[in-house]
Amino acid sequence: MSKVIFDFMGKRNYMFGFSAVLILVSVAALLFQGLTFGIEFQGGTVMHFVDTGDITIEDVRSAFNDEGVEGAQIQTADDGGFIVRTSEGDPDAANVAYQAVIEKLGITEENGDVTTIGPGWGKNITRSSMLALALSIAAILLYISVRFEYKMSLTAIVALVHDIVITLGVYSLMGREVTPNTIAALLTIMGYSLYDTIVVFHRIKENGARLVKQSFMSMANESVNQVLARSINTTVTSMLPPLMMMFFGGETLKDFAFALVIGLLSGAYSSIGVASPIYSMWKEREPKYKALKKKFARAS
Amino acid sequence: MDPKQRNVLSIALIVVLVGVAWWGFWPLDEKITQGLDIQGGLSVILTAQETSATPVTNDVMDRAELVVRNRIDKLGASEVTVQRQGADSLLVQLPGIKNSEEALDALGTTGQLEIRDVESTDATGNPVLGPILLTGDVITDATIGTDPTSGEIEVAVTFNSEGTKQWAEITRNRIGRQIAIVLDGKIESAPVVREAILDGSTAISGGFTADEAKRLQTVLETGALPVSLIFSESRGVSATLGQDSLQKGVTSALIGLGLVMIYLALYYRGFGVMAWLSMITFSSLFLGVLAILSNYGWFALSLPGIAGIVLTIGLAADSSILIMERFKEEVRMGKTFRSAARSGTKHAILTFLDADLVTFTSALMLYMVAIGPVRGFALTLMIGIVIDLVVATLFTRSVMIILAESVVPKMPTLFGVKGGGANE
Repeated sequence: MSKVIFDFMGKRNYMFGFSAVLILVSVAALLFQGLTFGIEFQGGTVMHFVDTGDITIEDVRSAFNDEGVEGAQIQTADDGGFIVRTSEGDPDAANVAYQAVIEKLGITEENGDVTTIGPGWGKNITRSSMLALALSIAAILLYISVRFEYKMSLTAIVALVHDIVITLGVYSLMGREVTPNTIAALLTIMGYSLYDTIVVFHRIKENGARLVKQSFMSMANESVNQVLARSINTTVTSMLPPLMMMFFGGETLKDFAFALVIGLLSGAYSSIGVASPIYSMWKEREPKYKALKKKFARAS
Repeated sequence: MDPKQRNVLSIALIVVLVGVAWWGFWPLDEKITQGLDIQGGLSVILTAQETSATPVTNDVMDRAELVVRNRIDKLGASEVTVQRQGADSLLVQLPGIKNSEEALDALGTTGQLEIRDVESTDATGNPVLGPILLTGDVITDATIGTDPTSGEIEVAVTFNSEGTKQWAEITRNRIGRQIAIVLDGKIESAPVVREAILDGSTAISGGFTADEAKRLQTVLETGALPVSLIFSESRGVSATLGQDSLQKGVTSALIGLGLVMIYLALYYRGFGVMAWLSMITFSSLFLGVLAILSNYGWFALSLPGIAGIVLTIGLAADSSILIMERFKEEVRMGKTFRSAARSGTKHAILTFLDADLVTFTSALMLYMVAIGPVRGFALTLMIGIVIDLVVATLFTRSVMIILAESVVPKMPTLFGVKGGGANE
């Protein structure tokens, strides 16, 4: 089996440009369009009505109006039935309204759910997730700095932030709702993004230990190529299940799977397109590798 | 023991473990606890409201947990769990509960009963409250009855001996004066004391409906919450909807994993089958551990949990991929199959040891700090990582080495490799 060597590092400016565009678009979307947060972050009630037969959206609306529930947002769900959102923050009142509506519409109680989130809970979730994120990043920085070196740990974090920003950007652009599941998915992406980056860095470290006859950059390029088949195959295998869930998984899992698919793609790309070239450029500023670079300038 | 024996032995060990795991987790729907989003039921998170008078301490939360537990017992619900979430919240799970309003009512009432002096009446005729004379702590029993004269529903309460003494004293000194019975800051009734009450009992009337009286009885018998709790989250899911989501989730996950297996077989040919075995071994051990955790009430499968499990199976596939890629690479570099298998597995394991430890560290942080669905997810991820390391070092590595020394040299094309046999 012959191996083609792709010149990733030589094309790094294109990859930086590509990433820069993605990041700019994401940041712009986040600034101007913002994120749509689910009721978990604002407080309110979501009700699902399933097995609704030939009940129309107007029937549901008038049932809520009759109950005196104001400002109910009613939409039809992907798999039939209706999803209704109200600003009700008291679960007791929400359940009373729900019971009254299903009675009026003649749906059995066995089919559906009612979720009420009190005000302030979202802040609680956000705060603890942010704290978890900050602590994780600190722990990762420490681990990679001790086990490898601090330059690797910082570039790994750059790639990580790159992936999270792009995923959030996609959420903003598509107007998808951010739920605690999205946060869980984002934190998972974090794990995968790092996993990928570490596999590449491991190879760079291994090859770097016996580096004499080429520049650091071209050695890094070879390393990336050596683990490329693994990167592609892992991305394919880890993306297939979430992809299937995105299509056939039902409401909750679809939500979760979408963030995973975007994040996995970005994570696989950023190890090659962001982490490795930035790290190599940084390393080539060291006197030892500067000399190698001069000597083998044409080699790569 | 020579290396060959050691490899056979570690494979045998894993096979035994897989057998034990199957025995432990089969049938799945009985051995692995389902979360409320799958099983159906009511899940409530209550958060303590801190005030300057009642700081939320560990001790306060312990007492609140006990009171909540007692109240739910009174509702007659079974298999209820009450757990602490973070520093100031309680997660209450009521599987299969039908009447969620009753449960929400009983949980949402603080139940602080006070008997207070009435000093005067304000312009609108409402009583102005004086000092607290007696609190609900002294109540030992509460029963529902009707007032013989008015026919109104009332809740009769009995005090302990200390309360009886105080109550006699209070009533003796206040004959002809008005007192107020206050529940959670709301005046339920303001009767006039007619005579000294010596038997340590009194009746609370306030125009209750039968349901309200029942709730008051529960609350008074179980005692007041040491701090007021507000609803942060309440999820009621019907069993049919939950099972439907479970089925969709599992079906899509199985299709996904099936595609992964096909892909691995197409790309890695014979070694793809090795990767299959590793994935099956991993899944079996993983489910076995989940069954053990379920048994002790430490784990319940939620919908995001399904995604977590599938992702960790992907993690296990990745370990096989790393081993296979490294092997093929070393063969390409001109090593024999035998030495490529030895050094390839060693290097691959070193690589994912680092990657796994980093992921584990971040999952651990999540587990310790985060709340809500993230936590369950972090737990599955951590378990998955540990099992992945066990399977990769004991099983995949040994199978790889044995294959490389036996079948691979005989039919290299079946395994998608060339050369490697030069020195054999």
